Amino acid sequence: MLNNKIRYALVKGNKTYGQITDELLANVEQKPPLWWYGAMTIGTILLAIGAWAVYMSLSQGLGTWGLTNSVAWGWDIINFVWWIGIGHAGTAFSIFFLVFRQKWAGSINRAAEAMTVFAVVCAAMFPLLHMGRPWLAFYIAPYPNTRLLWLNFNSPLFWDVLAITTYLITSIMLWYMGMVPDLATIAQRTKNKVGKFLYGMFSMGWNGSLYSYNRYETLMKILGGLAAPLVISVHTIVALDFAVSVMPGWHTTILPPYFFVGAIFSGFAMVLTIMILLRKAFKLTDYITEKHLDNIAQVLKFGSLIIGLAYVTELFTAWYSGVEYEIFTFFRARFTGNYSVQFWVMFTFNAIIPQLFWFKKARRNLVILFIVSIIINIGMWFERYIILVSTLAQDYLPSSWTPYHPTMVDIGIYLGTFGLFTCGMMMFIRYIPIIAINEVKPIARAEKLRKLKEQNHEH
Amino acid sequence: MSTKQIIGVFDDEALLLKATQKLKSHGVNIRDIYGPSADHDLIKNLTRESKLPYLSVFTGILTILLTFAFVYYVTVIDYPLHYGGKPVFAFPSLVVVMYLLCILITGAFTTFSFLTSEKMFPGKAPRLVDPRAAIDRFYLVLERNFNPDEITEWLREEGAEEIIEKETEA
Repeated sequence: MLNNKIRYALVKGNKTYGQITDELLANVEQKPPLWWYGAMTIGTILLAIGAWAVYMSLSQGLGTWGLTNSVAWGWDIINFVWWIGIGHAGTAFSIFFLVFRQKWAGSINRAAEAMTVFAVVCAAMFPLLHMGRPWLAFYIAPYPNTRLLWLNFNSPLFWDVLAITTYLITSIMLWYMGMVPDLATIAQRTKNKVGKFLYGMFSMGWNGSLYSYNRYETLMKILGGLAAPLVISVHTIVALDFAVSVMPGWHTTILPPYFFVGAIFSGFAMVLTIMILLRKAFKLTDYITEKHLDNIAQVLKFGSLIIGLAYVTELFTAWYSGVEYEIFTFFRARFTGNYSVQFWVMFTFNAIIPQLFWFKKARRNLVILFIVSIIINIGMWFERYIILVSTLAQDYLPSSWTPYHPTMVDIGIYLGTFGLFTCGMMMFIRYIPIIAINEVKPIARAEKLRKLKEQNHEH
Repeated sequence: MSTKQIIGVFDDEALLLKATQKLKSHGVNIRDIYGPSADHDLIKNLTRESKLPYLSVFTGILTILLTFAFVYYVTVIDYPLHYGGKPVFAFPSLVVVMYLLCILITGAFTTFSFLTSEKMFPGKAPRLVDPRAAIDRFYLVLERNFNPDEITEWLREEGAEEIIEKETEA
């Protein structure tokens, strides 16, 4: 892998291994800055709002949500799909770039995987609560039971349960196994007794032997290889939840690839948001260089083009099909009708604004990068809103048309997942090195060797 | 039984690689090499390929077969459910279940096998030779099956920063 050509500096400033260790462990070893407490407080408040909303929906039932007979999937599934989409990028990051040997992902994938794990946990909250009686969630596990019932293995909803469980467990394994060597390093260095015990426990007796590293790298490649198809399948299966139905606007074959690209797109946008913040907060500019952010922006530009193509293709298919219901959903409801504001927000935010990244100046400007990454996340939320609500609220029978409005409980649960995500990420940046130290070291060394070579050529 | 070990400390992978190759050619037994990161040159030159991939391919195939047997038993034999006039044995939709369970079980089993082969488990204390092995130094641990002075000499020639003699319970 190290023989690949590197076209630009991945780790700046000729650092020794000692320096790298010190700098990357700073967030664990030093006292957290003031803003950390601030963010934690906000996260906890949001979490408390979420807890209230969950209490309301459990104690009083799903009547507290804005769902109606027609719109049986509202904010819950919108937010579920949105969070799952965000949860995509982490694994996509480490795996696709492992497969394509893109070393620049080395300093980003730990944080991206952490984001994945928390986002998937947030996503899983929604279908669980949507069951109404989450304590009976084990009914969806296939086990011999007294009701003498088995599951319907042909149902995309069951596939979804399986896909998300598999994705969550595999992502956690990949994330956790990836940090074992770093945990051992912290356990060696820390002076705090509790810390030493906990880090030591979680490092599972890692000894840093070359032979262990050999097997370890093989393991990481296998896990990466296994998780790569998962990245595609999770969102494909989420899309099938919609696509196998006969609702206008859902019943299309483009939905799986379209959802997949959308997921990668929104996930990378969230990675960009988080990396800009972390880089600024922990002064990681030498490890997450402008070129790294530039690369993410390029991927976003590409994603945006495909998303735009998918939107236009959907419209074309609806028109070309000649089916009046499809034409109504796409051209009346979405294009010009009740949901046109959301539709055009989605279209502009996802397909047009990211085209700014054709310009290098935009890709190198942190403020623009940050704003556009937030805009994409909002745009992707509206995409899910459009797909769900515009189809369900105005379906075949005008007599069953109904407007959809979320209630405070809906909003509360959504805010709660933000709290969960914020608290999770804050705990992560407090206790675990943000960048995989053992992965960055070989990259830094390759960088040094390359520089030496260049100098020798000059003389 | 206690054995005596000689440890050469290096601060550069290239030096370490050269030293290791030299000592190997002289027939010195290399017990282990500890370091802060996995250098690919070192791994390629000094270790054998891990057999983990074969194990996971085998597990994967086994899982697919077992999962197929399970879903076939459920959907066709034990609880055939007719809905919408669709066939009971709908292979394409079973593929999804087989595929996902294959990934889940193979991933978990491979991780478990790795931990077993490394004798790692949660709660085991980290056993680094030296705290610096996790930061920036490489430790070449040799068995003293040779004249120790000679080994020391070779190590020094190859640029070892420090040479430690140690007695360990083997």
